[in-house]
Amino acid sequence: MDRASVRADVTLDSASPAISAENLRHTYDGHHFALDGVSFTVRKGEVFGLLGRNGAGKSTLIKAMTTLIQPTSGTLRVLGMDPARDGQKIRQRIGVVQQGESFDFTTVQGNLDVYGVLWGIPKADRVRRREALLARFELTEVRKRRAFDLSGGQKRRVQVAREFMHDMEILFLDEPTVGLDVIMRRTLLDSIRAEVQRGLTVVFTTHNLEEADYLCDRVAVIDEGRILMLDEVENLKRLYGGKKTIDLTVAGGDPTTYFARLRDALGSGATLKTNATAAVILTDDPKQTLAAIVDLSRTLEVQIVWLNVRTNTLEDVFLRSVQHREAGSATP
Amino acid sequence: MPLPNLVRLVYRNIAVNTDPGSLIILIGLPGMYLIFFGLGFQSITSGDASGTSYLAFLTPGILAFQVVMAGTVGGSMLWADRRWGMLAQLLSGPFTRLEYLLGIMFTSMLWGLGGTAVMLGVAFAILGTVPTAPVALAVIFGTIVLGSVFFGALMLFIAALVKSNTAYNSVQILLIFVVNFASTVFYPLSSGLPIVLRALFQINPLTYVADAVRGGYSSTFSVGDGYQVLVLVAETVVILALAVRAYLRSDLSYE
Repeated sequence: MDRASVRADVTLDSASPAISAENLRHTYDGHHFALDGVSFTVRKGEVFGLLGRNGAGKSTLIKAMTTLIQPTSGTLRVLGMDPARDGQKIRQRIGVVQQGESFDFTTVQGNLDVYGVLWGIPKADRVRRREALLARFELTEVRKRRAFDLSGGQKRRVQVAREFMHDMEILFLDEPTVGLDVIMRRTLLDSIRAEVQRGLTVVFTTHNLEEADYLCDRVAVIDEGRILMLDEVENLKRLYGGKKTIDLTVAGGDPTTYFARLRDALGSGATLKTNATAAVILTDDPKQTLAAIVDLSRTLEVQIVWLNVRTNTLEDVFLRSVQHREAGSATP
Repeated sequence: MPLPNLVRLVYRNIAVNTDPGSLIILIGLPGMYLIFFGLGFQSITSGDASGTSYLAFLTPGILAFQVVMAGTVGGSMLWADRRWGMLAQLLSGPFTRLEYLLGIMFTSMLWGLGGTAVMLGVAFAILGTVPTAPVALAVIFGTIVLGSVFFGALMLFIAALVKSNTAYNSVQILLIFVVNFASTVFYPLSSGLPIVLRALFQINPLTYVADAVRGGYSSTFSVGDGYQVLVLVAETVVILALAVRAYLRSDLSYE
């Protein structure tokens, strides 16, 4: 069946979610639930991040969405179709980069070529894509080497590049940047961003919260098979991240008195951690805090050597949500 | 127009699982049996009452032996794909599990047919003659196809059940030994054999493959050989069903 006829089977308007899950549960052994009542939707054309610790349920969720396992209960729709009934039709329209290694026992170029054949890409198109991907993922120099002989980062690049040999509507990336250096990680993330601008929907799992922050439109924090929070990255940072962080270093005058007066001035809206000449301030109101820092420095003749206001990171959000769950609280 | 999924999978199996080294070993091994066993034993035996030399007896047996080699190729492919992560990768692609299984079966069959053609060439070089009659070739190649499917399914059944590559390799080595030497590949089924060994010969599908190929090879294919082929068909259907069931139920997921 070709792609055109597959597309004709299910018509989705642009407002339809790419993926919807309702109360998904899955158990491998009948007792412990790897997914325990997961509900969410993934919008078309967005990058949806799944954040969680090892064993949180991310990979099980990816397996369910990519039709490799059938959830024990609940409702799942991918591109409007039921994976249990329309698995093959779904798989013809998605791409998957697995968490573990997966290679054919041949060269880098051979892996890309064979994958193109498997996806039914015509030869001319296959060669064009292969050459472009080898260049984009900086694999041209190792194209004749066997994939198994490459370094960890190179292998990962081959796996990701290979998936772009075919067109897809949803790309599932299960920790795709493991083993990549900083530059290649950014190259990969930018490549994904470029594809998203062309309409690709991406579901992305990672431990690296910086890259989730960089790439994702929305993220779900998952732990012990449950989604603890789900929202746009900025909303999460605002709602759950809470305070902003100000780094301050001073010189001259009497820093001890300065920090004591600053603590009094800020009251309960901020917390200070100090050493002899530096402080880290967590504050709800950075504007007021900055004003107090500057005013007091003038009054006490303390010189400000370093002042930096940091936006809360997704890491703050993640840590807070997991800590709150462990403390038994439903929401942070 | 894109190629059917099955053809793409067979292409991939051949393209990535047939490096020249393993090709030479897998096709060359039966040839070595033919040369070493055939010439070696012929030098100490005088053939049977009809004047058939041991080499002439062994040649169709070695053709039949190709089906076991073809079967091991199938099982090894499944294990390699599991081990290197390609099974889950392929099954998250545009293929069904059944298409993947059939892809391996067809690849095994092609191995069997290719190996048989090479062995016929080796036999011609040694004996100076091979059957060329269409009926004889149809019987030989038809039986090889059937035998390849049987042993391909058997190896896939085992590959789906065992939990490690080492276990699979151990079972495979044991099975090749028992199946080959408890069959009529190397010697005829005679009343002089111990009863247990004789029973083992008679339930061994390779015996049916070897006898049918031998019948085709010597143009003596009879009604009795036809019944043997029917038994082989029945055994193939059963083992194929078991293999499909075991494979579909096996854990194909990745961690």
